[in-house]
Amino acid sequence: MAEKQTFARGIEELEAIVRDLEGGKLELEESLARYERGVTLIKELQVTLETAQQKVTTLLGDVEPAPATGEEVLS
Amino acid sequence: MTEPVVVSVTAALTIAKDKLRAASLRVAGEVTGFKPHSTYSAFYFQLKDDASVMDVTLWKNVYTSQGIELRDGMLVEMDGAFDVYTAKGRMSFMPRAIKVAGEGDLRAQVAARARKLEAEGLMSDERKKPLPEFPERIALVTSPNGAAVHDVLRTLARRYPVAEVLFYGTAVEGADVEHQIAAAIEAADAQSTQSAQDTADVILVVRGGGSFEDLLPFSSEEVARAIAAARTPIVAGIGHEPDHSIADMVADVRASTPTAAAEAVVPDREELRGVLRGFAMRIDLDVLLEQYTLRLDTLQQQLERALPGRLAHDSLTLDALAERMRRALPTRLARDEALLEATRARIQAIGPRLIQPALSRFSRAVAQLDALSPLEVLSRGYAAVFDAATNGVVDSVEKVTVGDDITVKVADGAITANVTDIQAATRKER
Repeated sequence: MAEKQTFARGIEELEAIVRDLEGGKLELEESLARYERGVTLIKELQVTLETAQQKVTTLLGDVEPAPATGEEVLS
Repeated sequence: MTEPVVVSVTAALTIAKDKLRAASLRVAGEVTGFKPHSTYSAFYFQLKDDASVMDVTLWKNVYTSQGIELRDGMLVEMDGAFDVYTAKGRMSFMPRAIKVAGEGDLRAQVAARARKLEAEGLMSDERKKPLPEFPERIALVTSPNGAAVHDVLRTLARRYPVAEVLFYGTAVEGADVEHQIAAAIEAADAQSTQSAQDTADVILVVRGGGSFEDLLPFSSEEVARAIAAARTPIVAGIGHEPDHSIADMVADVRASTPTAAAEAVVPDREELRGVLRGFAMRIDLDVLLEQYTLRLDTLQQQLERALPGRLAHDSLTLDALAERMRRALPTRLARDEALLEATRARIQAIGPRLIQPALSRFSRAVAQLDALSPLEVLSRGYAAVFDAATNGVVDSVEKVTVGDDITVKVADGAITANVTDIQAATRKER
């Protein structure tokens, strides 16, 4: 069950929560539970967004370091 | 045998320069590497044929006086002579006049190939796959060296570091490089059978700017077919605008540069911050509770409207009676304190008797209230039906349609049900 929370799934769930809450058809208790879940999700996604470090996995070849810039010009 | 004269490098190059400048030539060849926007006083490009390439230095004033627009692939004839740039020992052809000899073969071949693949439907809009909104894994197919790979990685890291990048390096120039590029695209597209963990959601195929010839592998049929066959959406950024390749045309999305391709596959972190703030505002607790307060108010109003008129009237009478009692007692008692003192015992005896009629009227009224209360009615086995969507009382078959959810309130709770059939009470129309 401890599936990795992906951004896409998080946003999808948030959209569903907002739809439910704005639909106003939930019982109060259920509403509050959904509200809490929504707040938790927003915080989690914000943390993910701010702390994520891009992971680069090399499957073919190796990335060479950035070349020095500068163009050779015949003049 | 005479010793050759020793000369300096400069002198040697000057001798070569003089000899070359003396030889006027008309050279036919194909233009390549021509950039129409030069910031220098001359254009630097090459002229080539099947076996050789030579540098050309075309003064801007010569170019403008010719009244033609050069571009890569053009076959031209140039009148002029070689010159040597002695500081670098470089030889370059200096044209005095240029005329167009015809469209280059390579361009014609690529154009014919593009038409053929288009006729097969490889470029049709129906084939274009939508890109994922939040990719988790982005495959990057490009050269491991050069600026393009770093442009892309920098852009992805800035905009959406949440995604993982799967790098598939390939040579992009050289003999038979099409095969390597196509193989890298196929590897990036290969769907893992065990899990989705190493499967890319989107593939970037990019290459930095270069001459028309440099980009040719990306116009090969093999690369075009690899892109068309991929199940994963592909964004291509081959060269820089206005370069274009067949790979660009077959890809699901075409970007003008490698950086633009990277921007096309991921959301922007700054925009996502805004999206999350938007969600936070929309699920505000106060707003949520207000919704329920409003609903309570509505229910109260409905309840008040539902009370029968008589009950409301009785309730008013009761209120008036109670008020008169509250007022009457103190007034009477205050009239004479002495009398009050003297008759305390009597009043204590009389009091209950005095209040008794009112009390019994009160309890009768309460009993009537109970009898008329909807709850009391429900306890006798009746049920009240509400529209689950509007909370309105369902007191007619016309208030519901088949498929509506209804709430059936009984004495000890509520039942949610779904309308499967509606029958109006028998009248002349049935």
